[in-house]
Parts: sequence; structure tokens; C-alpha cells
Amino acid sequence: MAALQPPNPPGATSSGAAPATPVAQAKLGTTQASIVRSQFRKHRLAMFSLFLLGGFYTAALFADFIAPYGEGQSFRRGEMNRSYAPPTTIYWTDPETGRLTRPYVYPVSSQRDLQTLRVTYVEDRSNPTPIRFFVQGTSYVPPPLSLVPVGIRNQMGWNWTASTRLFGVEQPATIYLWGADQFGRDVFGRILYGARISLTIGILASLIALVLGLLLGGIAGYVGGVVDDVVMRLVEVFATIPSLFLLLALRALFPIEINPTAIFVVLVTILGFISWGPIARVVRGLALSLREEEYVQAARALGARQARVLLRHVLPGTSAYAIVAFSLLIPSFILTEAGLSFLGLGISEPASSWGLMLAVAQEGGIQTFTQRPWMLLPGLFIFIAVLAFNFLGDGLRDALDPKLRK
Amino acid sequence: MVLSYVLRRLVQMIPTFLGATLLAFLIIQAAPGDFTDRFALDPNIDPEQLQRMRERFALDQPVMVQYANWMWSIVRFGYLGESFSYRAPVNAVIYPLVLNSMSLVLVSLVLTYLLTIPIAVYSAVRQYSLGDKVVTFLSFLGLAIPNFFFILILITGVLFLQPSLRQVAAQGGTAEQVLRPITYDLDRGLVFPVGGMRTSQRVEQMSSWERFKDRVWHLVLPVIVVTTASLASLVRVLRGQMLEFLRSDFVRTAAAKGVPPRGVVYKHALRNALNPLISGIGTLLPSLVGGAGLVEFVIRWPGITPAFVAAVKAQDLYIVMGLLTVSAVLLMIGNFLSDVLLGLVDPRIRYT
Repeated sequence: MAALQPPNPPGATSSGAAPATPVAQAKLGTTQASIVRSQFRKHRLAMFSLFLLGGFYTAALFADFIAPYGEGQSFRRGEMNRSYAPPTTIYWTDPETGRLTRPYVYPVSSQRDLQTLRVTYVEDRSNPTPIRFFVQGTSYVPPPLSLVPVGIRNQMGWNWTASTRLFGVEQPATIYLWGADQFGRDVFGRILYGARISLTIGILASLIALVLGLLLGGIAGYVGGVVDDVVMRLVEVFATIPSLFLLLALRALFPIEINPTAIFVVLVTILGFISWGPIARVVRGLALSLREEEYVQAARALGARQARVLLRHVLPGTSAYAIVAFSLLIPSFILTEAGLSFLGLGISEPASSWGLMLAVAQEGGIQTFTQRPWMLLPGLFIFIAVLAFNFLGDGLRDALDPKLRK
Repeated sequence: MVLSYVLRRLVQMIPTFLGATLLAFLIIQAAPGDFTDRFALDPNIDPEQLQRMRERFALDQPVMVQYANWMWSIVRFGYLGESFSYRAPVNAVIYPLVLNSMSLVLVSLVLTYLLTIPIAVYSAVRQYSLGDKVVTFLSFLGLAIPNFFFILILITGVLFLQPSLRQVAAQGGTAEQVLRPITYDLDRGLVFPVGGMRTSQRVEQMSSWERFKDRVWHLVLPVIVVTTASLASLVRVLRGQMLEFLRSDFVRTAAAKGVPPRGVVYKHALRNALNPLISGIGTLLPSLVGGAGLVEFVIRWPGITPAFVAAVKAQDLYIVMGLLTVSAVLLMIGNFLSDVLLGLVDPRIRYT
């Protein structure tokens, strides 16, 4: 945050007498927004991250359709036991002629090695099962509707379901692109389902933190006096308690075992609630200087009410900072959610989140990781998502800061 | 001048400290139920006994009275209250925990600072060189990888080598002689220990030198993880600062008047660029305690965070408060130190 320059208020750069940067001179009629956009496009990593994250969110939205199995669908009984089944091998060539055919898999059956007590899976070569597309699977709530909370759906009687899935195989064959967990659940599918929670918690919590930080910081800086003192002491008090501990203590206010939707709301609120401090501090500083700007003085002289001056004139001046802070808060919340779920205090089974999947992976015993490395995949996704958001934030910062423009 | 500033800063800490502890106290007390709930369902304990227990721990009194009593006993005796579940004074319970966490954190802290400066200076002086690109890339990776995932990966790596190392140990020969001193336990095939803080079975028979060596072995993996995380962000900050100062007028002047390059970089640019690093000490100390948290969890390090989680789950009020107090004090000391240090390093900052 320290490297971030206080942004120029929009009025100051575009209406100033001399264009501040060569970019502003380049073309007549370029707006602030178009400059920022073209600057952002030059940041290749940020653009790439934008597309990558777009892909992630699309996949998360259509998780039910893309995943071959339901979120909690497990295979762990008798013949169909697929506990820790490795990724299914997909064959493309005919075993006799060696020519390309439509992709198929073999059903597997588990065998326990009596000496090492390890379970291994053996393919049944006599029964090739083709992979079919647009198959019927377990039913689910289709995407646009799945964004509506369950309570509202039930009340309104919106209970359409769909059951078409992108691909699947007929039982007894199973298809696990990235292996199965201890209950025989599809890791690929659960990563997609987990993305819905892991990727949205960050955005929603950042929004809460941002709104709180902007309002409280803006009021503190703009109004000043006692209000300023109170808000800033509050920020200091929050900053004195280590955030992980504050988070855990607040989490303890709610029962450990509550339904996934409730936990989701609780986590978003807590995360937003404990993280507005640093934003408020910076916004306060910006508001202190912005309130002396001529256009703010003018608004006040025209008789605008305090709230209007703050919301329409002072806070928009902090937008560049707010956008960057927002995009850089998201990855930190993704990490925190993963950590909490990893501790068993976040999202709970049978729902899925990336941190929870890593906790499940660890429950099987650290000693056995080398036998089933695919259980660590959710960590890779946390890593990629956080990295992409960081690049995105960097790109936005460079694009929005006139001093860093190329 | 300095002394009055120091005194005033110390006095300013008091309301912040009171506010933070009160806030924490209120939050914990707001949680439904209390410690005695777990006994309420126990048929062996009658309601009267339960009531006596509540009275003994003063759980039946108003929250503010409880807080005042607790705070007063800290001020008078430095006594943090009694743990419900350990049935022991909190001080005695958390003392070893804090010490264990600190041993991990301090080693990482020292390593972080030792490594940050040369890496960031190199990376800034040779901007856009291959080395700089590698550093930038790695620091991005270090920022994005969750601590608990990183340690899981390292453990997996150690376990991946286990079978082949065991073979080497069994075969003997030169390979074994070379590998034995640089691995933790060659017979079990472990390059590093993958859990805990000490080799528990043998610790009694060890000499103090062996005990020290054993502790160092156990520190390696968690220290790598905790250090990379803080290193990544500090290198990025310091590199940015260095770049800014290397382009500034006074650095160009110094170079023009014939100061050798080494002097320009270290005496002129670095001295100025160090400021954010020094003000970072304040947040680094407590954040390392928090940051080591999940790592402590994975590697079963008997530190603050696992105990805190357990205490929160058991609603052991005074353990939670004790740990919070200690880390809040650490944080305030850190902030205080960095402010004073900043004043010593940077003559532009006046104590007013």
C-alpha cells in the first residue's frame, strides 16, 4: 500500500491547464476511462490474469454442468468403492487396430495388497466404457437460478432442476479426471464446486471492507474533530489485535456446525468487518487533502449538504485508490478463507471449498501424500487465483496512477 | 527531547491497550454459553457444583466487573487469570507456548532481514536483468502461495525422497557417508523432520548440544515457509523504494561528483530506501506470530496458534485473553520500536 501514490482527483488531471503526461497529449477527445483502459491492456500479465479469472468464474458458475458428479456424491460401498481412486486413464486408440476411436475408459476395481495393506486399483480390460457427452446425471439447480439463495427459491416456488452434465460414463465405470478423495468423491468436480465459495467470499468480503473503510475513513477525514479521533482510535484498537486471532474469536460467536449458507454469510461479514481499518486510514488521509480542493469548496459554497459533498465530491476522488485496494484485498481474503476452512472453522462438509479440501487431504495422514498427490490440487488453485488477483491489482494500479503510465 | 517523545508514546499505548483488550473480552463473552456448559450435561456433576464452579471463576458476575478484576490483577501482579481447562494459572500455561512460537518467529525474522537487503539491492541495481526477473517472479510466487499449502508441499517433497534415502542407508558405502551428516535421520529416510518441535523419544538422553542440533533440524521446514512469505513482500517493497531513490537527483549528484558506485548504492540510495522496512518491523513481529499460525498447525509445532484455536473451541476465556494480550503487547512494542528506530535513522523525522 505504501508505494501507492495519492491519485489526482479526476477534475484536476483532465481540466488542468497543461497535460500532465504524454498520453494525455496523444489524442484529442480521449477520456480518463479510455486512457486507463488502454494502459491496462498494455499490462500483459494483468490482461492474462483477467481472462484466467474470467474462466475460473465461468467454470464456477457452470460447475454443476461441467462436473460429472454431484457435490456430495460419493462412491465408497462394496463394488463401487472408489476411495482415493487415482485419476482415470482415458484411452483414445482402439486396443486391437491401434486406430483413433472415441475416448473410452475401463472400469476399475479395488484390490488390497495384504502385505502393505495398500489399496490399488486395477482396470477391467474386458469392458471398455465410452465417455458420453451431455449425459443425464444427478439433478441440480441450473445456473442463473443457483445464484438465488435457497430460502427465497423455496418461498417463491422456483424449484426447476436440470440433470444434464457435460460428460460422464456409465457405471460401473467411473471417471475421475483428477482422482478421488477418501469418500470416492471427484476431486475435479469438487474443485469446481469449491470455486463457487472460495472465489466469491473474497469479492463479497472485500466489498464490505471497502464500503466500511470508504465511509468511515471519508467521514473521519472530511468531518474531522471528535469523529476523526473516535474512528482513528477504533482503527488502532482493531490493528492491535492480530487479525487471525480476532477472526477466530469472532468465529466462536457462531456455532461450528451450521449450514453452509449461514457459514458463508458469517465468514463474509466477519472478514469484511475486521479489515476496513487500513482502508479507512488511507481514505481519511485522501479526504483530508481533498476537502481543501476547490471543487469541494465550491460544492460547499453552493449549499450542498455534508453527506452529498462527501458522497458525490470527496469519495469519488478516492476511486483510484479504492479500486486498487479492492482488487488487492480479494486475494488476501481468499487466503484467509482457505486457512479458516483448513482449520475446520470455515465451510464445512459436505459443501466444498479449496481450503476444506486441503484439510480433508491432510486428514488422510501426511505420510501418504506421495501415494495420492492429486489431493493437493486445490492448493494449486488457491495459489493460481491469488496470483492472478495480485497481477490484476498491479495492472490496475499501474493503469490508474498517472505517474506510472508508459 | 527523545525521552519525552518515548514517554508520551508509552502513555498513548495505554488507552489503545485497554480498548483492544476490552473489545476482545466483550467479543469472547458475547459467545453463547460459557466454559461450564460442557459439564452441564454430565450426570456426575450436580447443579450445585456447577454453580460453585461459576462462582469460583466469577462467571456469574457482570462482564464489566469480570473485565475490571482481570485487568486489575494484571496491573497489580502481572497475573493473567486461571485457565478453566488446564486448571492452572494462565501465565504458566502460555509461557512455553509463547517461547516456542518466538523461537520460530525470531529465527525467521532475522533471516528475512538478512536476506531482504542484498536481494532487493541486487534486483534494483540490475533492473530487468535475468536475476531481477527471477527475483520478481519468485516474490510473486511467495506472496501467492498459502503458508499451509507450502509446508504441505515441502513435507510431500521430503516424503517423496524417503524410499530412496532408506535404500541408501541400507546399502551403506560412500553415498551413505556423504548423506548421513547432512540429513536429519537417514535410517528413516528423512532429510528433515516432518512434524513436531523435537525428537520426543530421545530428548531425555541428549546432551544440550544435541538438543540444540535437534531443535535446529526441526526448525528448518517451518522457518523456510515463514521466511519466504515475509521475504517476498519485503523484497518487493524495498526494490520499489530503491528504484525510486536510484533515479533521484541526489543519487545522480553523488555519482557525478565521483562517489564510487558501491557508496552511491549503499550510502545514498539504500539509507533512504530502508525507511519502510524499519516501519515494517512493527507489523512484522506480531504478523509473524499470526502467520506462523497455520504452519504451526500443520507441522504440530506447540506454539500460540494451535493453543488459541483449542482455547476458543473450549471457551477457555482467560487463555484466549492471555494469548491476545501477549500478542497485542508484542504488536505495540513492535510499533513503538519501529517509530523510535525510524527517528534514529531518518533525521527528517523529528520527535515532536
